[in-house]
Amino acid sequence: MASAVRRIFSNIYAAITSSERNRAARRRSSGSNVYQEEFRCYSVCVARLAIMVMLAILIGLLTLLTWHFTKVYTRTSLNSLAYGLRYELLQRPILRMWKILNSTVEIATSQVKLSEYVIRKYSKAENQAQKVELYEVMRDITWALFSSRKALNSMSIKYRNGFVQAFHRDLRDKNTYYIYSNLNNYTMVEPYSMNRSSPHQEWNDQMIHGNVSAIWYREPLDPDTGRKTGKQKEIPPDELINIAGISQVPDGAASWHVAVSKFTNSPLLSAALPVWDKDRGSIVAVVGVTTALYSVGQLMKELVEIHGGNIYLTSQEGWLLATSSSTRLLRNSSSGFTLTMAKDSEDEIIQSAAKWLNKTYHDKGPMNHKVHSATAILGQQRYYIDSFFLNLTRLPMVGVLCIPRKNIMGKVDAREIKTLIILISASVCILVVGCICIFILTNGVSKEMNLRAQLISHLDARRKAEASSNFKTQFLANMSHELRTPMAAVIGLLDILLCDDSLTNEQNATISQIRRCSTALLRLLNNILDISKVESGKLVLEEAEYDLGRELEGLVDMFSVQCKNRNVEAIIDISDDMPKVVRGDSGRVIQIFANLISNSIKFTTSGYIILRGWCENLNSFSYNENFFVDHRALWAAYQKKIKRKGLDEKKASKNDNTMILFFEVEDTGCGIDPSKWESVFESFEQADPSTTRLHGGTGLGLCIVRTLVNKMGGEIRVVKKNGAGTLMQLYLLLSTPADIPRESYQLTYAEHNLKVVLALNGRMSRAILSRWLHKLGVPIWEANEWNELTLVLQELFKPTSYEQSLMYECSEVESLSKEGVEMSIFIIVVDIGMLNISTDIWKEQLNFLDAFNRRAKFAWILNHDTSNAIKIELQRRGHLLMVNGPLYKTKMIQIIEAVIKQSNLEQQEKNIMWTDAHERLQIDSRPSRTKSSNESEITETNSTGTSQNEETNQENFTVYGVVSNCFPKLTEVHSEWDRSASFPNDNSNCEQQIRQADQKVKNGQKALEGLHILLAEDNLILQRVATIMLEQMGAKVVVVGDGVQAVEALSIQIEVENFKTSCESPSYDLILMDCQMPKMDGYEATKAIRRAEMESESHIPIVALTAHAMLSDEAQCLEVGMDAYLTKPIDCKLMVSTILSLTKCRT
Amino acid sequence: MAAVPQLQRQFIEYTTSLYNEGYLDDQFTQLQKLQDESNPDFVAEVVSLFFEDSEKLLNNLATAIQQKSVDYKQVDSHVHQFKGSSSSIGAQRVTNVCVHFRNYCEEKNLDGCLRCLQQLKHEYILVRNKLEALFRLEQQILQAGGSIPMME
Repeated sequence: MASAVRRIFSNIYAAITSSERNRAARRRSSGSNVYQEEFRCYSVCVARLAIMVMLAILIGLLTLLTWHFTKVYTRTSLNSLAYGLRYELLQRPILRMWKILNSTVEIATSQVKLSEYVIRKYSKAENQAQKVELYEVMRDITWALFSSRKALNSMSIKYRNGFVQAFHRDLRDKNTYYIYSNLNNYTMVEPYSMNRSSPHQEWNDQMIHGNVSAIWYREPLDPDTGRKTGKQKEIPPDELINIAGISQVPDGAASWHVAVSKFTNSPLLSAALPVWDKDRGSIVAVVGVTTALYSVGQLMKELVEIHGGNIYLTSQEGWLLATSSSTRLLRNSSSGFTLTMAKDSEDEIIQSAAKWLNKTYHDKGPMNHKVHSATAILGQQRYYIDSFFLNLTRLPMVGVLCIPRKNIMGKVDAREIKTLIILISASVCILVVGCICIFILTNGVSKEMNLRAQLISHLDARRKAEASSNFKTQFLANMSHELRTPMAAVIGLLDILLCDDSLTNEQNATISQIRRCSTALLRLLNNILDISKVESGKLVLEEAEYDLGRELEGLVDMFSVQCKNRNVEAIIDISDDMPKVVRGDSGRVIQIFANLISNSIKFTTSGYIILRGWCENLNSFSYNENFFVDHRALWAAYQKKIKRKGLDEKKASKNDNTMILFFEVEDTGCGIDPSKWESVFESFEQADPSTTRLHGGTGLGLCIVRTLVNKMGGEIRVVKKNGAGTLMQLYLLLSTPADIPRESYQLTYAEHNLKVVLALNGRMSRAILSRWLHKLGVPIWEANEWNELTLVLQELFKPTSYEQSLMYECSEVESLSKEGVEMSIFIIVVDIGMLNISTDIWKEQLNFLDAFNRRAKFAWILNHDTSNAIKIELQRRGHLLMVNGPLYKTKMIQIIEAVIKQSNLEQQEKNIMWTDAHERLQIDSRPSRTKSSNESEITETNSTGTSQNEETNQENFTVYGVVSNCFPKLTEVHSEWDRSASFPNDNSNCEQQIRQADQKVKNGQKALEGLHILLAEDNLILQRVATIMLEQMGAKVVVVGDGVQAVEALSIQIEVENFKTSCESPSYDLILMDCQMPKMDGYEATKAIRRAEMESESHIPIVALTAHAMLSDEAQCLEVGMDAYLTKPIDCKLMVSTILSLTKCRT
Repeated sequence: MAAVPQLQRQFIEYTTSLYNEGYLDDQFTQLQKLQDESNPDFVAEVVSLFFEDSEKLLNNLATAIQQKSVDYKQVDSHVHQFKGSSSSIGAQRVTNVCVHFRNYCEEKNLDGCLRCLQQLKHEYILVRNKLEALFRLEQQILQAGGSIPMME
């Protein structure tokens, strides 16, 4: 135990010192991590040790207690048991002793009584005869008593006159003797008289012993009858027995003493009693009784035989009276037999016990109290020693009992040691096992702690990394936002400059270049903003219905210009089952495709770019092996969408029908290395970094695309393509409003007996179109170039060969075609590129075509750079059906419908030539407006003016396809300005453009005509400036100083409106709201206004004015219900465009 | 009295120098553009408004910042107003100082704030002098019967 404690202490000490050392080491080295590690280790060590120590203490205590209790209880019970036993053992010899004593006393007493009686009777004895008679009587009485007690050794009576009568049993030879003294020498009377005065003094032994003349006689007797059996013999006095004399009863009371006789080897107990003469009050005789103590020793022996050990009795002085051993009690000394002292006994045990008692109690103790000791060591063994004090009058005795301990406790002692050993070994085992367990446990715990600490530190690191990433994003967002504003201004100013007449060509070119660069820069900023928006999770997709097909066509139109310049075909191939109207964020969808297509264009130098699209209903969606859709991901996305929608508006989702729209963008560019297929979607990642120099770009486009696609519940990836180039596949989950039936293109063109000649340069687009038309049941002839076209035309319109060719080309419409050439409508779609424009040959080519003009209808596919001269020439020649390239299905349908309509008209007015001016049809050559592209695609030429007017009013629509602008995607922030600069100009020259722009600017000056605007602004200067700005634009402005007034002004308005529905009072069309104002700031005011509006269900556009210019402010503005956001200082144009977009939206 | 063309040239040079040295920016140009027949003294009116406002704000700022426990929120709102008004008339340098001032306010940096206040006062007085000089020049031109040349 002690060593264990020492070890623990040494361990703790080691831990402390090492931690000290570590502390010192830490001071030296900065790597506190190491220190912490070690410290943790040591603390674990210490904890472990502490637990172990506690366990050890606990187990030790348990062991000790168990040991103690078992030991103590057994011992005490055993002790008490042993004590009782010993007491019993001692008690019995003592009782025997008592008995002996009692009987002796009884005999003596009865002898005394009888003697008294007899002596009184004969007290008047006068003569010798009477005296003899007295002595005879006395002899008989004494004999009777003596014979009745066999245990008596002797019985004597000594008369006053010195006469002695005694009976004696010799225990050695079993004889009984009568001893008496010679009567002759005694006078009977004298002593009586003499003694009267001093009765005690004259009784002395001297008188008797000194009476030498006395003769003692001994006669053997028959022990049973008392008859004389032998002759009397003379013996010396006092030879055989002690005769109790007067000296032994000096005070007249009974006395005891231990005597030794010559005839027995055991001490004798003798008692002496005086016989009184009552009348005279003197002692007349002394009766003596002796008893051998032999029987006590016998009993002791018997007792000890069972239990072992020794018992002895001593007198108070230490003389041995009786022992359980068989050693002699008397010593034969020079003066005859004497008693031995206990400490001189021949028995070693008794001797040593007596010595031990003496030593322990210094000779005085044992007489006064009882001694019980369990620990006396006698010889080699441990003994129990008990002593008892027996207080007899004149003869106090001490009994001593010695029992070897092993006789009583031997088994117990042996068991005790075994138990102790077992207990200790068990507890040691438990301790060891416990320590091992603790070690393992604490090891596990410390390991876990370590892991946890590591985890925490990792988490910390991750959080930091995320925070820095967030910070970066935030920074980018803020920066780009801040940068975008000046960029917008730069572009706007450049546009103004471009409109200036006075510029030289060189300047004009330079400025155009600057503008292009600025637009590129702006686009980059937009990308960054998008990325950061997406990354910071602020991008919220709109949910609005829009025509996806039209948007995509507009997109292709827009890119076709770029493609044409690079000699790349831009083709759109959207399947007929595509839903016409889908619900989603059109801007973002278009952004996806714009990014993809522009990317493709960038890397494609020749060939084509195809945008394919088809769709599947999610419910009836069957797994398509060619596509990569992951079913589970799809369903997960679908569920999410449903859930989100469910949160937004529950009733809307009921009608919705979610579709999976699949798209492919394929190009024939340089392609992407398969190893980069995934990484191209990372931000700032490009397949080949070296291409940056060649193609430019930041590598943000695809990243944005992917995040957007994912946000719409879809996926995008690059897939393997046969041949050169890249094939991107993506799908989107978009819902379609169920109530709008999907328009089917199952047009029955076959009924109209159509026949189409496709003379297009683009191989792919022609193939796609012809396949589609073929499916619709329209016979087609294809031509790749001019010569082929002439051949086809000649064959077609040569009556003889026509039938053959028709049969050859499309046998399924044979029956129809048999009705004749006249019945069928020929449509000849000719690409303007077929004509050789560089030289004057095109006029001759037109002349050639004129020959067929009567029989067929020509539709011309124009290019963006087709000069006006050619157009005019075509019109002049009656080719009025002109569309802008590229040609795709929708345009084809328009062409066909126009032709059918015309032919119907033709049939109605058979005699009127369809070339009549009123019937002239031209397909609107402005591809600038996506919204109206379908409706206004085919319009009368003379309605362009009105359409222009319309456009000036509808300014908030995104514009695509700007001829002079290679970077057509501008955000709506400056689209208004952009539009004004890039107004319809497909073939008009610069001057036209400028004029239109000027006109536009003038219109813009009064752009806000008739608008009522409430301006809430506390800053007087801003108030003034904004008021003047707005008033110059023609708006009516009401100024209030704070939010409270703004709310009041509005509430009055609402009340007034409620009061009289005829709205004469100024109802505000818009509120310009400063964000920071006294009393009530802009946010609060907006909230209040919106709350108020909840009741009336109206919605006043609120534009925030703020000097913060941070994204978070914008977010906050929009959150509280503002519609737009302007930063101070107010940019006039920006403000106007914002206001217009909002007010138009409303109307 | 100098001849009108000379005055005009002087005016243009002066204005250009103001732009070049960054005292003014296009916001001021916009203000000038807003001035027309219906509002003949628009620029002067706005600028004098600005002067009044600025002086009030500067006083407020000075008292606010000399408090024992500076209420940075209040200071910030003052500076914010100042920034708004100065940016509205195109006093670019004042605006810039305001931006710095607000940063210090956010950091609760009293030294920085005091420095900025000094700078603000300085810039304000500077721009005031410049603008007053400009207006004087304008008056001279008008008195000489010339027209104010427009800056592009």
